[in-house]
Amino acid sequence: MRLTPGPRRAIDLDAVDLFDLDLYTAGDPHPIWDEMRERAPLHHQVLPDGREFWSVTRYEDVCRVLGDHREFTSERGTVCTHLGQDDVAAGTLLTSTDPPRHTEVRRAIGARLTARAVAPWEDRIRQSVVRFLEPALDGAPFDLAEQALLLPAIVTGPLLGIPERDWAELVQLTAMVTAPSDPHFQMGGEAATLAISHHELVTYVTDRVKRRRASGDTDGSLLDHLMSVHAGDAPLTDEEIALDGYSILLGANVTTPHTVSGTVQALIERPEQFDKAQADPTLIPNLVEEGLRWTSAACNFMRYAVDDVQIGGGTIPARGAVVAWIGSANRDASRFPDPHTFDITRDNAKRQVAFGFGPHFCIGAPLARLTLRIFFEELLQRCGSIELAGEPEHLRSHFIAGLTHLPIVAQERRTP
Amino acid sequence: MDQQAASSSAPVSLGQEIAELWGEHLDGRTVGVDDDFFALGGNSLTGIKIIDRVAQDYDVRLSVRDFYLAQTPARVAELIERARAAA
Repeated sequence: MRLTPGPRRAIDLDAVDLFDLDLYTAGDPHPIWDEMRERAPLHHQVLPDGREFWSVTRYEDVCRVLGDHREFTSERGTVCTHLGQDDVAAGTLLTSTDPPRHTEVRRAIGARLTARAVAPWEDRIRQSVVRFLEPALDGAPFDLAEQALLLPAIVTGPLLGIPERDWAELVQLTAMVTAPSDPHFQMGGEAATLAISHHELVTYVTDRVKRRRASGDTDGSLLDHLMSVHAGDAPLTDEEIALDGYSILLGANVTTPHTVSGTVQALIERPEQFDKAQADPTLIPNLVEEGLRWTSAACNFMRYAVDDVQIGGGTIPARGAVVAWIGSANRDASRFPDPHTFDITRDNAKRQVAFGFGPHFCIGAPLARLTLRIFFEELLQRCGSIELAGEPEHLRSHFIAGLTHLPIVAQERRTP
Repeated sequence: MDQQAASSSAPVSLGQEIAELWGEHLDGRTVGVDDDFFALGGNSLTGIKIIDRVAQDYDVRLSVRDFYLAQTPARVAELIERARAAA
């Protein structure tokens, strides 16, 4: 989807189709969300097949829906591509589990992903990023969006305990999960694409666990941690290990690349911001926060109302599905003045909710922040200039906002 | 479901066996040989169990992709027949 909105246009909110994939491939959702925040902060849509959902778009409401599991449960599914089908992994998969079980498992897994726990990886990540950037700097066209899909794998593979030879396939599978209708990734129909990718990812983790148990090898990776950690009084079940391992692979792979390419695109379009960051590298942590706000790669998450609930000036009935539009919350003018201006010096950029909000706040956020900071430090240190070398193409997904192609030409910086 | 509509070259009985096996993993509902896996509410966790059962009962390890692209008991029966013929 376009991250810099086009001109304001007349929008009929009763006719808007937020699940229209063309809107994200070729359209411009931001003016629609602007209108929704202003005029219909609780919006209701019925799909042609009869499924229905409510949408919240204001910052405060998005935080409330994502943050309060008593009113809005995760245990019937959290991803809008599955609207209407209760989640088969509820109560087992961490993202589809409410407190108190969620709290136990989250604490156990999260201990290995805190900022302090990932800090020792900085040098290794930097080496990987430098290697990643090398082919981009020779002055020939480089498709950043396509290449960036592999970046999390390159960076986090050793940390997760996944050998490099498997990464290309895993990246393909995780992309299928997030954009089952994108022609780059589709296999058969949408349902088949989702089932194949879920199945192969879950069995991949299961097989690795089996092999590791058989050999007794340990490497201190996150996968080892999942196999040995206790949540509550007991180790995780095999099903929890398989599903949470899957979920961690997914989370690592499918968002960071789009934040990288979307933020680089924003910098290409605004050379003055690029120059500012290059002149003062201490701005880079804030550039990362503004990039996260601007790109909002996880465009939304879904919850289900437990009982009738008042929000956004209306009522969501008990058992109704509600989509919390993170991409919209991050452009709420009441929180972020001039929200459609990309400004690396924005003073509250850190209030962005690109990682979500509340109990399900992204468990990998410290690692993502570290990776993004290193990426932009190295990029700005090494690139004198970056230009577009072709038309960007957008991911066909209403769940993940991203780019499939961003051809760039970068010139190496002469006097770093 | 009209079984004559099956476009399968596999014996109908194998298709029916597979349909029954699916039924067991789909809340015991009745499944026809040409019913669509996803329309029946099938998902990857059901698929994992069904593929394991097929491996156990028929000694054929179906490819994950072939299984979901086949999508009906009749066509899955065909996959099993083909794998047996090739063995």
